[in-house]
Amino acid sequence: MTLVTDLRAVLGAEDVMVEPVELHLYSKDASLMRGQPTCVVFPRDAGEVAEVVRIAEAHHVPIVARGAGTGLAAGASPTEGGIVLVTMAMSDIEIDPENRTAWVGAGVINLDLSKVAIAHGLYFAPDPSSQSACTIGGNVANNSGGPHCLSEGSTTSHVLGMEVVLAGGEIVVLGGKAPDPPGLDLKGAIVGSEGTLGIVTRALVRLLPIDPDVRTLLMDFPSVEDAARTVSDVISAGLVPAALELMDQRMVQAVENWLQAGLPTEAAAVLLAEVVGETDGVEPQARLIAEIAKQNRAGSVEIAGSVEHRALLWKARKSAFGAIAQLAPDYYLHDAVVPRTRLVETMKAVYDVADRYDLTMLNVFHAGDGNLHPLIAFDASDPEINARVHQAGEEIVALCLEAGGALSGEHGIGIEKRDLMRFNFSELDLDAQARLKEVFDPRGVFNPTKILPEGSRCFDFGGVRRELPDGVWV
Amino acid sequence: MTYHPAHISWLQVEIPAAPASAFQVAPKTVRDVENILRYCSERDLVVQVWGGGSHSGFGSPPEPDFVMSMERLDDVETWEPDDLTIVVGAGARIETIEGMLAERNQTLVMPERPGAATIGGVIAAGISSLRRGRLYSTRERVLETSMVTGDGRVVRSGGRVVKNVTGYDLHRLAVGAFGSLGVIVSVCLKLWPTPPGSATVLVDDLDHAAAIVRPLATLEVDGQVMVYLQGTEAEVETQTERLGGKATTGLDWPSNPTGAWEWSLRMPPARTTEALARLPEGWPYLAVHGVGEVRLASDSHHGAEELRSWAESAGGHLVMSQGDPTLFDPWGAPPPALQVQRRLIAEFDPKRILNPGRLPGGL
Repeated sequence: MTLVTDLRAVLGAEDVMVEPVELHLYSKDASLMRGQPTCVVFPRDAGEVAEVVRIAEAHHVPIVARGAGTGLAAGASPTEGGIVLVTMAMSDIEIDPENRTAWVGAGVINLDLSKVAIAHGLYFAPDPSSQSACTIGGNVANNSGGPHCLSEGSTTSHVLGMEVVLAGGEIVVLGGKAPDPPGLDLKGAIVGSEGTLGIVTRALVRLLPIDPDVRTLLMDFPSVEDAARTVSDVISAGLVPAALELMDQRMVQAVENWLQAGLPTEAAAVLLAEVVGETDGVEPQARLIAEIAKQNRAGSVEIAGSVEHRALLWKARKSAFGAIAQLAPDYYLHDAVVPRTRLVETMKAVYDVADRYDLTMLNVFHAGDGNLHPLIAFDASDPEINARVHQAGEEIVALCLEAGGALSGEHGIGIEKRDLMRFNFSELDLDAQARLKEVFDPRGVFNPTKILPEGSRCFDFGGVRRELPDGVWV
Repeated sequence: MTYHPAHISWLQVEIPAAPASAFQVAPKTVRDVENILRYCSERDLVVQVWGGGSHSGFGSPPEPDFVMSMERLDDVETWEPDDLTIVVGAGARIETIEGMLAERNQTLVMPERPGAATIGGVIAAGISSLRRGRLYSTRERVLETSMVTGDGRVVRSGGRVVKNVTGYDLHRLAVGAFGSLGVIVSVCLKLWPTPPGSATVLVDDLDHAAAIVRPLATLEVDGQVMVYLQGTEAEVETQTERLGGKATTGLDWPSNPTGAWEWSLRMPPARTTEALARLPEGWPYLAVHGVGEVRLASDSHHGAEELRSWAESAGGHLVMSQGDPTLFDPWGAPPPALQVQRRLIAEFDPKRILNPGRLPGGL
């Protein structure tokens, strides 16, 4: 029996696609790396996913789970071929307002969850800029962040449980609505594992009550450093706003051309801050942020009064990457994170790198978390520029690590940063991570070759050579 | 072998509250921890890791051969107040560190009345602050861990930044793992600012507490509901008025109920009030509303079986944190994916010398 015949026997012919045009469509995510899948499947529930896993194991073929494909690190690109498993058909939402939780199918779009939850006065905190397209399954796989994760944490802080298909097609439910489930926190390891440990089919997520009041501040500065220093000063003044987002002038101009949100295009940097809570709390907090901004040479400080104005400012922030298309046909969006105290000097160094390589760089990022997103706009059809973009990118990552930072704040490792993992971790650290991967996926079918660089497993540690399990992909 | 047994003998100490029959050591460096664990792994010696002894009642552990106190690994490596992060040895006492952080109006968001509890101990036992409904649990505060595995490897996971998706999150697995994957030797934690205003407000019942959407905590101790507020002074003042109960300035945290038997009842949050109505007669309690955590004490285990079977049928757990494991099963229903958990532990502690018997499901 062929792979496709086996899959069709379980899923039906229409849910196993092999048309070249479809294979091409699912051959990459939002990164630049493309693979060549054998087929694309659309299972409807955990039972069907379990069948796909068993068939993949029997045929020694990889499975790459995929939501909307908005990932930027090639985590969902089928670079080793095999089966692309699209989660979109698993799209049920079951809200439990009393416990402020929801069971959500992996294929549910992030924004759709909050749209349903709002009827109960609740929302899902992680809000990546791609939230109108990306799925909850993808958020779980990447431990996605977003502007509002500053005070509430990334996806991992909001996943209380999950239904997941493990190796051998075993379906388990981990965690639940009660706090501190006994035993090892396996779901904690699965969140952010980019589909390499198993396939999450449903997630039990925490929903937060919508705060009674909110203030959104728009502040402009004569330099990026002034804006970055404001961010550091706000944090050290003991305030953790709901969001603190920074845009540089190039980015502001690009967005303004596109959206006309009323952003100050003549300023060198714009800071967007948001505080939420009770009315008597947000007022003084907003005033304090404005004061700190003024001390750091802020030009104007505008506090968005209406719901519409707020929505427009956030639309401007979240549309930033879409606005790039006016400048150049391609862009390379980086993601790195540094301690917040090193933000000012890191930003300077990042601009220096762009200047040295003569590249057009724009910045819009989660300043409050120290999470940088330098974006290089370029034309990928020119191989000479390609090489410069790549080199500049590596330098930026290196300088962030040198500042005590990490490789990725929210986009993931995938293939893009896999080979940089050695700069972030020791051999023993990587070996421990490789052991985790092996325990979950002894036959190596779940999104192989992602996250860990080749040879992460130190087989010689302790002088004992380990036996490889049957069928392992090495 | 790069060490001599004498190096281990030199680390011998007396730990008054720990099992006396065991060889008691207090490593001074991470290298000492590696050596002790290799020594014990090679000889199949069971090691009980000792923090402050506050949470040593979980599970059904065998008599240890070694007790390893982490008290000397208590250095603050870096504290970046402006970054709201700290890197600290796992043996540091929560009380000591909180005292230091208070000078800059910051907090670990760990248990409010920690006694002798250490940071590493609280992380390993998965114990959280009473403020967790607003400021999240201990799990969400751990940004990085360095662990020494049972066979003596130093493994670091996470990073010293507040947002990070680099690699697999072994540091999350370490929370609540009772040291089964490794002894936590140092951690980087996400701190939180403590605003100037705060109040503790006694209210008539839970309905009155609902006037504030996200208070710092809503607790109930033996029938008395208390709302904890924190923010600017003006904010706390108006919220106190809105709640309308008897208020005191500052945060007056209750102690955990104590007894020969102690319990942690973990329920879906909406079932908390029902759980309190089902407690056996005379069990003192401290309930964290909105979270579903209820801390309990009792003189005996009578009534615990009924409470557990109801809790489990309602999606919760009744965990014994202190008592006699020969009389009552400390954990109840085994957790899911036991095979995966067992194989994971085998990769990190192949001889199973680290705190065996602490976890549920015979792990």
